[in-house]
Amino acid sequence: MGLTGLDIFKHLPKTNCKVCGFPTCLAFAMALANGKASLDACPDVSDQAKEALSSAAAPPIRLVKVGAGENVIQMGDETEIFRHDKRFNHPTAVAIAVNDNEDVDAKVDSINGLVFDRVGQHYEVDMIALVNASGDAATFKAAAEKAAAKTNKNFVLITQDVGAMEAALQVLAARKPLLYAADKDNYEKMTELAKANGCPLAVKGENLDSLAELVEKIVALGYKELVLDSGARETSKVIADMTQFRRLAVKKKFRTFGYPAIAFTSKDDPQEEMLQAATYVAKYASLIVLKNAKKELLLPLVSLRANIYTDPQKPVAVEPGLHVLGDVNENSPVYCTTNFSLTYFLVEGEVAATRIPSYIISVDTGGISVLTAYADNKFTAEKIAKSIKDLEMEGKVNHKKIVIPGAVAVLKGKLEDESGWEVIVGPRESSGIQKFAKAQFA
Amino acid sequence: MNRKVVFLPEEVSLEVLPGTPLLRAAALAGIEVKSSCGGKGSCSRCLVKVEEGKAIVKSTGKLSGEEQEQGYVLSCQALVGDQDLRVNIPISSRLEEHRILFNSPDNVDGEEEAYGAYDGYPLCTRFQLSLEPPSIDDNTSDLTRLMMALRREMGKSSPETEIKINTAALRGLAKALRERNWNLSVVMTYFPGNVEVITAAAGQNEKPLYGLAIDIGTTTVAIYLVDLLNGKTVLHHGSFNRQSRYGDDIISRIIYASEDEKGLNELHDSVIGTINEIIGQILQQAGINEEEILQVVTAGNTTMTHLFLGVPPDFIRLEPYIPTFSSTPAVKAKDLGLRVHPEAWVHSFPQVASYLGGDIVSGILYADLAENDEIVLFVDIGTNGEIVLGNKDWMVGCACSAGPSFEGGGITFGMRAMSGAIERVVVDPVSLEVQVKTVNNVKPLGICGSGLIDCLSALKTAGIIDRSGKFQSDLKSARLRSGEEGLEYVLVWADDSGVEKDIFLTEGDLKNLIMAKGAVYAAIRTLLRTLELDESVISKVIIAGGFGNYLHIQDAIRIGLLPDLEYEKFEFIGNSSLKGAKLGLLSRKALNKARKIGNMITYIELSVGTIFMDEYVSALFLPHTDITLFPSVESVENRN
Amino acid sequence: MAVEVSKEKYRSQVREVVLGATKEEGGTRSHTVKVGGETALPFLHFEGEMPNRPVVAMEVWDIVPEEWPASLKSYFEDVYDDAGAWAKKCVEQYGADLIAIRFKSADPDIKDASAEDCIATLKKVLGSVGVPLIVYGCGKSDKDNSIIGPIAEAAEGENLLLGVAEQDNYKSVTSAAMAHKHSIIAQSPIDINIAKQLNILISEMSTPLLDRIIIDPTVAALGYGLEYSYSIMERARFGSLQGDRMLAMPTIANVGHEVWSKKEASISADDEPGWGDQAERSMAWEATTAMALIQGGMDILVMRNPRAVELIKKSIDDLMQDNS
Repeated sequence: MGLTGLDIFKHLPKTNCKVCGFPTCLAFAMALANGKASLDACPDVSDQAKEALSSAAAPPIRLVKVGAGENVIQMGDETEIFRHDKRFNHPTAVAIAVNDNEDVDAKVDSINGLVFDRVGQHYEVDMIALVNASGDAATFKAAAEKAAAKTNKNFVLITQDVGAMEAALQVLAARKPLLYAADKDNYEKMTELAKANGCPLAVKGENLDSLAELVEKIVALGYKELVLDSGARETSKVIADMTQFRRLAVKKKFRTFGYPAIAFTSKDDPQEEMLQAATYVAKYASLIVLKNAKKELLLPLVSLRANIYTDPQKPVAVEPGLHVLGDVNENSPVYCTTNFSLTYFLVEGEVAATRIPSYIISVDTGGISVLTAYADNKFTAEKIAKSIKDLEMEGKVNHKKIVIPGAVAVLKGKLEDESGWEVIVGPRESSGIQKFAKAQFA
Repeated sequence: MNRKVVFLPEEVSLEVLPGTPLLRAAALAGIEVKSSCGGKGSCSRCLVKVEEGKAIVKSTGKLSGEEQEQGYVLSCQALVGDQDLRVNIPISSRLEEHRILFNSPDNVDGEEEAYGAYDGYPLCTRFQLSLEPPSIDDNTSDLTRLMMALRREMGKSSPETEIKINTAALRGLAKALRERNWNLSVVMTYFPGNVEVITAAAGQNEKPLYGLAIDIGTTTVAIYLVDLLNGKTVLHHGSFNRQSRYGDDIISRIIYASEDEKGLNELHDSVIGTINEIIGQILQQAGINEEEILQVVTAGNTTMTHLFLGVPPDFIRLEPYIPTFSSTPAVKAKDLGLRVHPEAWVHSFPQVASYLGGDIVSGILYADLAENDEIVLFVDIGTNGEIVLGNKDWMVGCACSAGPSFEGGGITFGMRAMSGAIERVVVDPVSLEVQVKTVNNVKPLGICGSGLIDCLSALKTAGIIDRSGKFQSDLKSARLRSGEEGLEYVLVWADDSGVEKDIFLTEGDLKNLIMAKGAVYAAIRTLLRTLELDESVISKVIIAGGFGNYLHIQDAIRIGLLPDLEYEKFEFIGNSSLKGAKLGLLSRKALNKARKIGNMITYIELSVGTIFMDEYVSALFLPHTDITLFPSVESVENRN
Repeated sequence: MAVEVSKEKYRSQVREVVLGATKEEGGTRSHTVKVGGETALPFLHFEGEMPNRPVVAMEVWDIVPEEWPASLKSYFEDVYDDAGAWAKKCVEQYGADLIAIRFKSADPDIKDASAEDCIATLKKVLGSVGVPLIVYGCGKSDKDNSIIGPIAEAAEGENLLLGVAEQDNYKSVTSAAMAHKHSIIAQSPIDINIAKQLNILISEMSTPLLDRIIIDPTVAALGYGLEYSYSIMERARFGSLQGDRMLAMPTIANVGHEVWSKKEASISADDEPGWGDQAERSMAWEATTAMALIQGGMDILVMRNPRAVELIKKSIDDLMQDNS
């Protein structure tokens, strides 16, 4: 939502000197607009231009960090309202609540155990939200000690009692936890505490208006490491408020709401709670505090987070390798295509529709389509032959025949030489697969 | 050992070793046979008929049993065996002279005004000198004497740099000076870092001083013979790039050059050979000898420039698509083996990127984009669509692969714009009858790019196809029928055609064409969107290249190939690569400006990001998925 | 201080489509179901109308769904051989707003059932439930093209939602819908441009059908490119609100179909100990996929797991609460 490449270009020297590492001033300007370069790289930029550009380039939502040293979780620094425009930068952090009056050791142990691996990604719970449910400072501190000993995760400290917060901070200050929360009654002391310990501070209002007021008071006290909570807990109200935070900060440059936001679930049933959290992942929460912790429910939640926070400007690729459709046997046809998701989905859909159990080899073309990949030397006879070998296709089928896309019929001869397989040239378009398969394999 | 092969109907014969493909043998005999796939046996364009003897057939490709029985073979897949052969090469398999573009439409002589850039800063010129003879009192060397005279002659325009002289000129200097009483004509060339005496000849020379502007295209090579002293084009010639036998498209040529050790040399020799042959014709026609050509400037796409200079183009097609050079120093003609004066310098226009080459830079120079405040869109449509958008401050450019459809490739009856090609199609919306017009008004042999665009537009308007390019299967017309590859529409019945077959279009043909137009339009949109601009900023659309001249703007807009702007905004400039090369040939200022242009264009890689993919799918519709981008088409259709 | 809330004003809205027809309208449904009609992005009640909540259709097959995991199959064990009973159970016990029948038996490689067989099943379902119906063929276009006409004719006036028109094959189902007064699903392969192109192609056959099209943008399951579908939904909804009438159709997602073929739905906790209990995980996978899609603006969810349906319906209750 910031300046366009051309806006920035107008302020640059137009020398095309290449010192910045970009071939032209315009290329540099476009990289600046996308946050992929720094103005400092330009040797000739005027101070005037610097000033004009730096104020425009300030992120609409502040980057706020929880944690210390290597173990830092970043929140905020978002620039978009819709994920299809540009990547959402910092995935929603997931915290699980631990009450200070329950068996802290056991609960933290179980949270530590929530680790999953899926499609090459490793996931775990990001934070422990330690809740001063007892209302007692000493209990809170003791729980902080137990939890700190059990885990390296970051913390959210949940109490509106300044004394309790102070007690827990005696244990955890060095780990820079998020302090939850400053409210209209305690904000001066909480701000002081946050400032003194260098911890981020959540600000809790009763609605958008009171929240704005409170944020401005805290900013006036000279503190800006803030996280927003409008106080809403009903799903519908939360997404309305979250939408306002994002829109006002990004579109209206309303600085008061230019901070990451925290969301709390209100549902007690773990399944209902997970779906509520899923809503907040889609709708701008930077941090979600959950009550329940169950693998089978967290896995879909973190998978959704991974989906929402992928870069929309990179073509979507499917996993390269062997895809099995139906109940294959040694006579099943073998097709090959690229791993560009749209191409692959189309081919898979058509092959599945033939109802002939089949193999599809998706060759790693870096996620680009058949013809582009051919022109790009990413879809070559050598590469397909290597896939046939690496995937041990000769052990899977007994016919040594492979179908290639009609658009790259030209690969036939070379592929036959390279692989020793017979190459059948398939239709140019996936829409021809059903007819083709009927003639070839039925 | 050798076997005799006779090619018909010319009765040209030659002897070749067994194992030689017929395609190669034909080339050796001087007959260029089509070979779109580069001899891989997949395109079936190189069909020939063995009338006597038996060839060794490696593969029959897509030939029908009947064709095989009649003796047809693919000449790239048929080798000379142990028998002598008589082989008929049908017209449809021959590369024929097609329209090679020299000038704007109907405007051979009107080009001079564009050469206002001929500006007193020549790249190459001649001085007629009359030197004071030396004496005992004035005993400076011949060379110093010459240099002093030259500096005086050049006056203010004299560059500070040292004036060089090549060895050949130096060796002849003493004699030349004395032969005509210290009268000397000297040819000088200038460019940054090099001011050189090319020749120094005795006496005055009143004859024209010649230079060549050369456009090295993937398909064709075109040359102007230019009088450097008055800026006039004396004559022009062109021919097919003989590299075509290694494949129609750039990629096959790069692959050929990089797979085979000899490949690069063959391709280099082949383009030099093509140029020398054209020079031969020029020399003959102009009645001059090659020593009289003293300056050469070429413009070509990046791959062509690499191959012309004998530089391996391997990495052009590999990510991240890096050419060996962008701006190249000039080389001597003798190092390339060009049939001009051996000491003549050869300049090549700079490249922007692997798929945005010197031909485009040359076009931009000619079109004067770099002098404009207004934003201009420059489009060159061929197998690759090359597009540049910008003004004097900034330019962005990209290249998309349109596929060969616009040049007739990948279309069942596609052909280049040569004699017999259908270039206009009219379909009656009621009777669904078709009228065609061909190049040279002869019997139709096939259909060329402009005919295809006409046809697509006409078929859509007549309701024969839907917006996705599919035939309306319930149509009542004998012309719409079911063929081997699904539905097809007959444009010309066999009785009226020059190929004794029905000429038709298949849904696959239409699809290829829609993909081609979609790629070009999507590339234009991608440039605009990358800069967050829209069509309304475009003050002018300049269409370069051979294709443009035969294009109906109205149809091109109706199918969604070009943006929907007022017709007055479109301008055809013909072979701007050649014209830009001529500017460079005449003016060192122009040549420098070309360098600057090459340096300022920001190349946008379409395969990065998702804008192009999105725009591309959106453009695979007639005219477009977003009809609001084509308000004039919408209003026409609403009227209908 | 009073924060000035940001409210978008849009030029246009999503078309409203009525599914089913009551006796008075020429059908036999006990009630109709309206979808679409939104004038704002999903659930932002503070700036626009969402007159119809997202609805859930449950799938009923005319063969035993052997490929479903046991944890899912077990819900329907008692009704497999009776599509009517199956549909009734979905509506009465599990709260389905619509029933989606799949004529799997018509597949030439399964039973090659005739149009008459399918019509008999359809009649049974029409008799057993009062909700509007969605009808899918077997997925093989040649066969589906041959049975869709008779099916549409046999249920003339019911305003079925007929599946599916695709860019390469839209004519027979469009004709069937035109001739016998049904609505149609226009399905495109995860591509917003093709979705729109298909709507244009259909509208050029029949302009009135524009108000009876439901877009199936083909969704990807959670973890399998869901973000792509999500963004297409958001873009399409945003486009419709800004006046793109050719995209302004309500949408349908085959959530169950996508989710239940995935590894996450079937693999046991023994094989993937990190992923937890299969039965609950698979249910949650379907529910989460559905939840993300309604955030993007999905109007009709075709689902399978009754608990996932229950959860989603509850969540929709919450999301429909006023937030202005």
